[in-house]
Amino acid sequence: MTGLIAKDFLVMRKSIRTYILFLIFYSIMAALGIFPVSIVTTLVQLIIMMMPLSTFSYDELARWDRYAFSLPLGRRAVVGARYLFALLLSLFAALFGLVSCLVLAVFFHDPNLVENCLTVTVSLALGLLYCDILLPLTYKLGPERARPYFYLVIFLPIILLFGAFKLGLLNNLVFLLKLPDAVVIPFLLLLPLLPLAGMGVSFLIACRILEGKEF
Amino acid sequence: MTNCIEISGLCKSYGDFALEDVNLTLPGGSILGLIGENGAGKTTTIKCILNLVRRDAGTITLMGYDNLTQERQAKAEVGVVLDECFFHDTLRPRDIHTILSRVYSDWDRALYQSYLSKFQLPEGKFIKEFSRGMKMKLSLAAALAHHPKLLILDEATAGLDPVVRDEILDEFLGFIQDEDHSILISSHITSDLEKVADYITYLHQGKVVLSAAKDVLQDQYGRVGCTAQQLSAVDPADLVRVRKGSYGCEALVSDRAAFHKKYPQLMVEPISLEDIMLLIGKGEPL
Repeated sequence: MTGLIAKDFLVMRKSIRTYILFLIFYSIMAALGIFPVSIVTTLVQLIIMMMPLSTFSYDELARWDRYAFSLPLGRRAVVGARYLFALLLSLFAALFGLVSCLVLAVFFHDPNLVENCLTVTVSLALGLLYCDILLPLTYKLGPERARPYFYLVIFLPIILLFGAFKLGLLNNLVFLLKLPDAVVIPFLLLLPLLPLAGMGVSFLIACRILEGKEF
Repeated sequence: MTNCIEISGLCKSYGDFALEDVNLTLPGGSILGLIGENGAGKTTTIKCILNLVRRDAGTITLMGYDNLTQERQAKAEVGVVLDECFFHDTLRPRDIHTILSRVYSDWDRALYQSYLSKFQLPEGKFIKEFSRGMKMKLSLAAALAHHPKLLILDEATAGLDPVVRDEILDEFLGFIQDEDHSILISSHITSDLEKVADYITYLHQGKVVLSAAKDVLQDQYGRVGCTAQQLSAVDPADLVRVRKGSYGCEALVSDRAAFHKKYPQLMVEPISLEDIMLLIGKGEPL
């Protein structure tokens, strides 16, 4: 299985290098106060979560699956490797976000360390949730047909939230703002555990989808 | 000695096409050539062997391991070269080592590097810069570097120039010097199979219509060229297939010595694999 994870990293190495440079640039911009670091921490998850989906496209282009399933690994290991690749990238994105927040707090005296770190954990939770939804969908539909759903999964919640806000539907939720920090902070810190558990279910669904596929 | 491949009663239907009751045995130390026209079921048979498609019936064992219930053990001893290179263009031969050394417990880095060197494949060059011949050689190096007992090749020499094909065929012959090793090769290039194969299995419309040792085909099978009038005097039981044309007829016989003895007035000559394919594929029983 580690061979397949290594394969994904090797195939994506050029993109990973470009994204890292891009993120360092944006982190410097955040350090200079041009925009908040929370944008960088969210952006890094958004960019990183696209990568496992890109690997599907590269695999399809190389017709890799037929070869991968002829290896002595089994179908579950092939799916498992893709999930672990997605998980490692999400954790890397979160680590990058946390390090950026710490650097800003220590060296640039950013007073919002806790808030920024919570943005990282919430972004991580969302990144994992998107993987939970999109990975089985991509196994089912293939990378091209799953692409519209990728945008739908990202932008539909934003549009719905914005619409609900404009229509005043969120007014009933103002009580959430009054919750004590002792409740909110641990909840948001532990939030990624929910989609992480969901990843197990998502993995089983993806395995089930792949069991029925022929190559 | 355990056979490298044993297929019994294999059936697989796609609706408009079906593999029907395919039986095939590949003993150790030999090369079996799988021939047949496009869509005859060669690739489907290989896909069933590799468990890439679900079969409807039958059993398949590789080196004695069931290919479904003992899939990993079976595949651990198999090297696969399919009809194209499945490695991503952005990978390099050294990356293939990084990947496959983590897949195969018996991966031999020194052996892989020796193949790269033998095939003149630069370790650090991207695969997108390789020619088709180089890509197929890389696939072969990757397939051989974990000391497999069985090589499965699906149209692996298609589209290659004669020099590269000859080089690859030499590798195949070297590989089966070990009596535990075998090769299943599907190919349209019958001249390649005439050079290296020990057994030939001919698939036609999803069915095995001919399966024999290559020497038997070359030494015993024959082609009879005659007129329609001469053909009408021949016992149909003596002919495997017949092809009638406007200028005459030709027929396939399974024992040309016996045929010549029985019909000394008719000319019977040795026949190539390609002509056997043509006569079986386009001919009909008398």
